[in-house]
Amino acid sequence: MNIHAPNSRSVQVLGIDAGGTMTDTFFVDSEGDFVVGKAQSTPQNEALGLIASSEDGLGAWGLSLDAALKQLQTGVYSGTAMLNRVVQRKGLRCGLIVNRGMEDFHRMGRAIQAYLGYAYEDRIHLNTHRFDPPLVPRNLTRGVIERIDMSGTVVIPLREESAREAARELIAADVEGIVISLLHSYKNPDHERRVRDIVTEEVKKSGKSIPIFASADYYPVRKETHRTNTTILEGYAAEPSRQTLKKISDAFKEHGTKFDFRVMATHGGTISWKAKELARTIVSGPIGGVIGAKYLGEVLGYNNIACSDIGGTSFDVALITQGELTIKNDPDMARLVLSLPLVAMDSVGAGAGSFIRLDPYTRAIKLGPDSAGYRVGVCWAESGIETVTVSDCHMVLGYLNPDNFLGGAVKLDRQRSVDAIKKQVADPLGLSVEDAAAGVIELLDSDLRDYLRSMISGKGYSPASFVCFSYGGAGPVHSYGYTEGLGFEDVIVPAWAAGFSAFGCAAADFEYRYDKSLDINLAPDAPDNEREAAAKTLQSAWEELTHNVLEEFKLNGYEPEQVTLTPGYRMQYRGQLNDLEIESPLSSASTAEDWEQLQEAFNATYGRVYAASARSPELGYSVTGAIMRGAVPIPKPKIPKEALEGETPPEEAKIGTRKFYRKKKWVDAQLYRMEALRPGNRVTGPAIIESDATTFVVPDGFETFLDGHRLFHLKEV
Amino acid sequence: MNVNVRSRELEGSTRGIVRGGETLKEHRDRLMEATKRTKHYAGLEKMELRDSQPILYNKLFSRLRAGVVDARETAKKIAASPIVEQEGELCFTLYNAAGDSILTSTGIIIHVGTMGAAIKYMIENNWEQNPGVRDRDIFCNNDSLIGNVHPCDIHTIVPIFWEGELIGWVGGVTHVIDTGAVGPGSMATGQIQRFGDGYSITCRKVGENDTLFRDWLHESQRMVRTTRYWMLDERTRIAGCHMIRKLVEEVISEEGIESYWKFAYEAVEHGRLGLQNRIKAMTIPGKYRQVGFVDVPYAHEDVRVPSDFAKLDTIMHAPSEITIRGDGTWRLDFEGSSRWGWHTYNAHQVSFTSGIWVMMTQTLIPSEMINDGAAYGTEFRLPKGTWMNPDDRRVAFSYSWHFLVSAWTALWRGLSRSYFGRGYLEEVNAGNANTSNWLQGGGFNQYDEIHAVNSFECAANGTGATAVGDGLSHAAAIWNPEGDMGDMEIWELAEPLIYLGRQIKSNSGGAGKYRGGCGFESLRLVWNAKDWTMFFMGNGHISSDWGLMGGYPAASGYRFAAHKTGLKELIANGSPLPLGGDTDPENPVWDGLLKDAVIKRDKQAITTEEMFADYDLYLNYMRGGPGFGDPIDRAPQSVVDDLNGGYLLERFAARIYGVVAVKGDDGAFTLDAAATDARRKAIRKERISNSVPTEEWLTGEREKILAKDAATQVQQMFAASFKLGPRFEQEFRSFWKLPESWTLTEEEIGVPHYGSHYSMDVSELPDVKTVQFVEE
Repeated sequence: MNIHAPNSRSVQVLGIDAGGTMTDTFFVDSEGDFVVGKAQSTPQNEALGLIASSEDGLGAWGLSLDAALKQLQTGVYSGTAMLNRVVQRKGLRCGLIVNRGMEDFHRMGRAIQAYLGYAYEDRIHLNTHRFDPPLVPRNLTRGVIERIDMSGTVVIPLREESAREAARELIAADVEGIVISLLHSYKNPDHERRVRDIVTEEVKKSGKSIPIFASADYYPVRKETHRTNTTILEGYAAEPSRQTLKKISDAFKEHGTKFDFRVMATHGGTISWKAKELARTIVSGPIGGVIGAKYLGEVLGYNNIACSDIGGTSFDVALITQGELTIKNDPDMARLVLSLPLVAMDSVGAGAGSFIRLDPYTRAIKLGPDSAGYRVGVCWAESGIETVTVSDCHMVLGYLNPDNFLGGAVKLDRQRSVDAIKKQVADPLGLSVEDAAAGVIELLDSDLRDYLRSMISGKGYSPASFVCFSYGGAGPVHSYGYTEGLGFEDVIVPAWAAGFSAFGCAAADFEYRYDKSLDINLAPDAPDNEREAAAKTLQSAWEELTHNVLEEFKLNGYEPEQVTLTPGYRMQYRGQLNDLEIESPLSSASTAEDWEQLQEAFNATYGRVYAASARSPELGYSVTGAIMRGAVPIPKPKIPKEALEGETPPEEAKIGTRKFYRKKKWVDAQLYRMEALRPGNRVTGPAIIESDATTFVVPDGFETFLDGHRLFHLKEV
Repeated sequence: MNVNVRSRELEGSTRGIVRGGETLKEHRDRLMEATKRTKHYAGLEKMELRDSQPILYNKLFSRLRAGVVDARETAKKIAASPIVEQEGELCFTLYNAAGDSILTSTGIIIHVGTMGAAIKYMIENNWEQNPGVRDRDIFCNNDSLIGNVHPCDIHTIVPIFWEGELIGWVGGVTHVIDTGAVGPGSMATGQIQRFGDGYSITCRKVGENDTLFRDWLHESQRMVRTTRYWMLDERTRIAGCHMIRKLVEEVISEEGIESYWKFAYEAVEHGRLGLQNRIKAMTIPGKYRQVGFVDVPYAHEDVRVPSDFAKLDTIMHAPSEITIRGDGTWRLDFEGSSRWGWHTYNAHQVSFTSGIWVMMTQTLIPSEMINDGAAYGTEFRLPKGTWMNPDDRRVAFSYSWHFLVSAWTALWRGLSRSYFGRGYLEEVNAGNANTSNWLQGGGFNQYDEIHAVNSFECAANGTGATAVGDGLSHAAAIWNPEGDMGDMEIWELAEPLIYLGRQIKSNSGGAGKYRGGCGFESLRLVWNAKDWTMFFMGNGHISSDWGLMGGYPAASGYRFAAHKTGLKELIANGSPLPLGGDTDPENPVWDGLLKDAVIKRDKQAITTEEMFADYDLYLNYMRGGPGFGDPIDRAPQSVVDDLNGGYLLERFAARIYGVVAVKGDDGAFTLDAAATDARRKAIRKERISNSVPTEEWLTGEREKILAKDAATQVQQMFAASFKLGPRFEQEFRSFWKLPESWTLTEEEIGVPHYGSHYSMDVSELPDVKTVQFVEE
């Protein structure tokens, strides 16, 4: 949504979403107005695409690049380059040092990596499983002789010569990074750090410059496959990204910016491109939307938000509960198990471009998991697509404007969709074309609705206490469908839905998060002195992590006083293997009473997430990890606030009518141009609100209200 | 046509609990009668809901399936056992009122059948009347005599009611780490009757009003060694069942009970048709014959059994015949299989057939519609008295998998020939690994508690080669396609055993044009254990998979354990240590490092509890998969890559593959193309010169048969098969043109054969009605 205003504006914040094909820039001024710029991505030198995209966006405001960039207070980058580097195995040539005897474990991976990300049918279909090549080949892996047990006790002392030999061989092999990961180093890092120091000495002696990454310094958490994969990513994929980010930062500085770029990180905050743990910026784009929703929630007073984002290929859902993001600690990405804190986001492989097929053997209707992506569907003659997609159903049912797809850039042909659906879906099922298409949409909506519902109930809540945010290019097309009947407190479609991720990036906190594995075990009847000792162990871990967080901020010139610290911990019933992350009700812990409070906070959450009957306090408690988050204030986009006008949309917003099919009948839907609707306007279905990048469907039985923040509220009437 | 509700007809009569007023027994009888009469499940010659409202039908399916999968993912986080939490050895399944499964989560889906068998047992034995089946009841079962695979798979079964009437069931199963058998571990060896198998529970009502009974809690917790795992596993199962029950209630309140009811039966018929269509599409009609064997090496001194008559080496035998008909129906016949035996490798007919079905879901029907329909679409014949359909209530089951995996891999081979014929080369699978070794044992652990261990690293064996590529290494197990070996740091939390190695096992995958995937090996050092024991469980003398179309079988097993190792001193002195893998067992390295150690290194891959102390060693070797095609057709560079990658030992490159590779100064091999070419030509010549005409060979073999020139174990195996399988004997006789006077009986061999004449089935107990699922 581009809002034109005189050039007295002061541009404050820049959000960047550098995708594989398009680079979006999102500028916000001091009044909260914003503009989106688009340009083709330039993978060879990302800075070029970014500058072009910025010029496009700022051009809409009539501003020159240099003039605007001088005013900028801050900028946040998110992109897919690092992820692509991993997926395509185009990272740096790294060496790996592990325990002698275990040199195979990284290439073996975990067998789950052979089917991570698969659909149900393929998960059970053995002959479809496959391993990706390891990030570090076996011939660049070396072993050192040592062993430490699960409680940190030395079983085999480190034989230093084995470390020296390993270092020398890898240096001689001209590696571009050396990663060290020894078993249980999260518990007792002495051997691993000694190996690190030996490798450092050997690198120095060789006169080469090779970065060294010890897992205990980066991700000191249990599960060696996760920890090792993640530490390797630092050397393999993050270092090249650091160079890219530096280039971008320099390019913008040449145009007058005065700040360091920050990068969206998996934990939901932004970190500096100079940060030590840069691997956690591996996925950043999709998180942006979640952060944007969280920020809007903070400003507008929504505590519980269900974020839903539909693009061409997937439906992503994330929850914000009590204003907090849900964090997953051992997620998988790019078919690797990792030990990064990641904003929990679940994906269904179903989006607007998903293919629709009937199983030839069972005639079951199958949505996806593959998709036509940017090629839309059969309706686009030039696409070469022959299998019908969800978008073809949209065409048949009148949801989409064939002449205004992507602002008219792509001309679609409804008849092609009709013919293809008839042949591929409707006739075999004995349905009319409309009913087949409507059925597919109903099925998709039902899948998405159940998904949302199960995520919310999985956290122990009901949708009635949640506001649902719906964004992404295809989100508003389906908002009504996947929220109908769930009873959300409110359903909100931002008028800038298509650029919401970039907006979110611009709204993210400057926040570091550090995690550390702990093994505090208490029997249910543990005496007070043990409880007190446990509280103190946790406290000393918090202090260690605080030090790390403050160090990171120091790199960016922030003093400790400027940093707001939030401690957390991971707890489970003794003997379990899965813990829950709890934000600490206390800012520090030192007494038996403090420990009681930590236990209570955990019990309350556990009963909500699983079932009250699954609580097992009689087993005692374990704290498995300490968490420290630190944030500093940074400028954020202002949310627009305009005065409300009348309920009746202005005549110029009306752009005709279109036949629209739902619930077994055709109706005439009123069409509106999204940009022409005014705050305070109320639109009653059947109506379709169109903009270049998205379409907002308001069927009969629904109405929507545009508020002063340019948010549509959708409700059933 | 539909599974109508009979409320009107039943008015006034004694009302049963099933929706409409039938008793469970009346309901199941009606369905089975209609199934038999029409050859369609429940008589559903038409599927009303699916045909008239396909969208609603698909929606119901998709909602319920997503919910069942989600319940498994959520509930498993409650568990403490790495078998459940890390390896995913659990499964949840939704059943209709008659106990036929509608849909299932992933995981150990063999239990779709076994839990259904438990429900059917309750139905047939009138649980409805006593102990009663009411809303919010909880039942527990692990009885192998009524269908369970082995006692360590514990079922929790919860009935689902709607408006006061029963509309279905939900079952949850986990593989627990210990069931209080004679020895520790979930699949203990040594006991030879089920009384030593541990705690056995027959569809017992263990709770009502969603609450477990206190007597059950107290009794069950002391019946097993690993109480904490037991408790949290049970909470996992109950939480999952309750999640699914709630889901069903939500779905019904939104879509209506009528639609749900129709769906619950049509889905089964749908599954049956799905299988039939797949068979039509992927196979060629005809008969496929194959066979499987496995060793039971009980004569060895390290197998301690309580009874004389079990102390002998035997071979288990499972010939099979698949008949595929033109209409896509099929029949599997196991005529000629061995009798059940005095060991723990027997199986119930339900676990045998359900497991086959699990295997089919991995290859023939990997579809969304996995349910009991496939069982109704398959005819089985398992002669009564065989190891897979025992006729004696004393038989032990604790490691039924020992032969299940080997007997089934033959079927996969049979089907693969069919896939190959149809051109589905990617679907071909030369067979499965024998999923072992099972590292098990117990004592006091590093936390000073009574403990049992049961490593599930062998959930990641090598897989068989396809007709287009190598099998996957360290990837899967036949009983759970979602294989995983888990992280070492997690196993070290669960077991007082330190890793000194985890390495891909060279040569463990069968050779071939495409080789089988390799397994791996873990070397474990006993650490912080007290009064500790361990034992081995796996195949040793017999390769239990075969290889296909010239491919070799995978390597069989062996054991390595070392006591009195002196490792404490070797570590302190900085001496060389055994680390990594036992790379070449014919030329061992470790044995030389451990000067005065007591080393057990032999083919005795099954043992019973053996004492271990700190610093002792145990090698856990996970098997590979078989190969496809002639090894001398393998691309020479692939062989060189295998050498460099540690998948193949140097001397086998030339011997088996005919590939000559040269080792460089850096230790890496490169191909000598010319020498390879020459070597392969020579191999072809050798093969021709060593061959004899088939007729000649048959004549020689026939002489041996007439003279009974075979090992005792082979003779006993055939004698037992002849006794139970008269048709098998007849065919053997006519194939080898044997005279009438030639007979072979167990009596003449001179080894004990208790059970060959006298047996008593569980069905002969008072008031017991067993459910028969197969032709006998």
